[in-house]
Amino acid sequence: MFAKTIGAGVFGLNGVLLTVEVDISNGIPALDIVGLPDTAVRESKERVKAAIRNSGYEFPCRRITVNLAPADLKKDGSGLDLPIALGILAAAGQVGEVDFESIAFVGELSLDAHVREIAGVLPMAMMCREQGVKAMIVPAGNAPEARVVDHVRIIAVDSLSMVLAVLRGESQGITEEGDATPPGAVNRTEGKTDDFRDVQGQFAAKRALEIAAAGGHNLLMSGPPGAGKTMLARRIPSILPPMTMDEALEVSKIYSVAGLLGSTGALMSHRPFRSPHHTVSAAAMAGGGRIPRPGEVTLAHHGVLFLDELPEFPRQVLEVLRQPIEDGQVTVARVSSSYTYPSLFMLIGSMNPCPCGFSGDPSHECCCSDMEIKRYLRRISGPLMDRIDMNVTVPRLKYEDMAGGHEAEPSSVIALRVSAARERQSHRLADTRIFCNAQMSHRQLQENCHISSEAQSLLRAVFEKMKLNARSYDRIIKVAQTIADLARSEEITAVHMAEAVQLRLSIAR
Amino acid sequence: MNGVDKGRCGEDLAVAFLLDRGYRILNRNWRVKSGEIDIIAEINGWLVFCEVKSRSSLCYGSGAEAVDGRKQQRIIRTAMLYLQRYHRFNNLCRFDVIEILMSAPDHPELRHIKNAFGA
Repeated sequence: MFAKTIGAGVFGLNGVLLTVEVDISNGIPALDIVGLPDTAVRESKERVKAAIRNSGYEFPCRRITVNLAPADLKKDGSGLDLPIALGILAAAGQVGEVDFESIAFVGELSLDAHVREIAGVLPMAMMCREQGVKAMIVPAGNAPEARVVDHVRIIAVDSLSMVLAVLRGESQGITEEGDATPPGAVNRTEGKTDDFRDVQGQFAAKRALEIAAAGGHNLLMSGPPGAGKTMLARRIPSILPPMTMDEALEVSKIYSVAGLLGSTGALMSHRPFRSPHHTVSAAAMAGGGRIPRPGEVTLAHHGVLFLDELPEFPRQVLEVLRQPIEDGQVTVARVSSSYTYPSLFMLIGSMNPCPCGFSGDPSHECCCSDMEIKRYLRRISGPLMDRIDMNVTVPRLKYEDMAGGHEAEPSSVIALRVSAARERQSHRLADTRIFCNAQMSHRQLQENCHISSEAQSLLRAVFEKMKLNARSYDRIIKVAQTIADLARSEEITAVHMAEAVQLRLSIAR
Repeated sequence: MNGVDKGRCGEDLAVAFLLDRGYRILNRNWRVKSGEIDIIAEINGWLVFCEVKSRSSLCYGSGAEAVDGRKQQRIIRTAMLYLQRYHRFNNLCRFDVIEILMSAPDHPELRHIKNAFGA
């Protein structure tokens, strides 16, 4: 007696369809799972046994062999419980005639036969569409994310007996409540986030953050303690442009695999904002583990990676950032296989100018020795500094600025300008797979940026005077392009170029 | 009554119990190098390998508890040898445990756990 069902797993960020073959023969009763199962899959034995018994079916007292194909791929996660259970029931002849070729099952079983949520359902559903599997049975909590994928009929279930009722045609599963994929879900959540209205003064920093948000550039803020660096950074999400559908899908896929999507939202509705503490390990930053999981740089994809107190991060962790920043992706290689995760994020850093924090402050005396300051600043390596597009100083506020009582510009107004600038970019980069200025390659830069002759000569003068390198050249032009976009200018003029140069070269440290 | 007698007595009780329920007894104390199976019986085409555990008190735990993973593996290995010897590899098989508590001499309590374990 033999049966075959379709299950699914995740490899890196992509779903894979797995075939679950079940053979039942006479002999000493046993349940063997072969095909490179890892611990969670091997333990599914006990869950499957109990779940089948507790939903009123008979667990066959025979020799049962379960094979997971392809046999050379390591299977992890608990999502294979459901296809294994159904394979066993089908092979034991307790299901009846069902076309198992056109339906995929994912879900973890509890001992009382409830179907539990699993991670990574979105990429699995995408793979079902690609491979032409017509229907997919998923845990109820994962249904919203699965329903994002069209052309696959998603059936939400909450128990093993419901799955069998669906297969007999007696049930439709749990029907969706409301609209599962509102296109508006890609919009920012309004009102809840902090607002720039609360930040008095700090016009230079706000301007820099606006440019960074509009073009996806990296920014480092430096200033004495209490000046408002962290406060400013926390408000970045409120001015980030809304995600396009493609961006939202990519980000949702990452969060689905990481198990962070939550059951409420189908798609990630706003850009991620990650602010890992400075005790973070290199593996947590880049992604790692024996079976690699996405790290902070990947979780910040299409969003913001905010590193507060940048010099406090271990050097090893900061150096790990170099490849992801430059390539927009990070490759984690392990003996078994290597995985590539996307990591297009904007890096926002904050730091004090010296250990005591008051170096360069006109009203406080800095009590650090030159040596101490040097040592402190050396913690951020030159190559990393080279990848930061803008440096901005956040000075201590004056009393008049703070208690002035006049309200600062609200985030919604800034967000409008940012969105308009981002729209110009996506219009210009429509034929490519990139979304903002910071992601442009050198070639795209040359094709898309129109630099006025005045700006050209300004850049040449700076380049030669400051002995800049090729990366600086590219990055200055990208920032200048964003400034031009914010100014609704078709051409990068000398004014735009000057601001970009000034932002890059100002010494924030 | 020493330990061996007590065990023997329990097995007799178990055999009577199985016969009463329509089982056909094929072997008792089938012994090979790797171990021993207390009772091998047959019913409705199923081959039943039975382990009998007798206890006179619960001071040392129940009888069924004593059939731990190691004991199970030993029984399964022995059962495989049995199937091989009699060419019955394609038979339906089952492993049962019968525990007997003889706290009072005249009132043995018997519990039959069908399909108690598998490989």
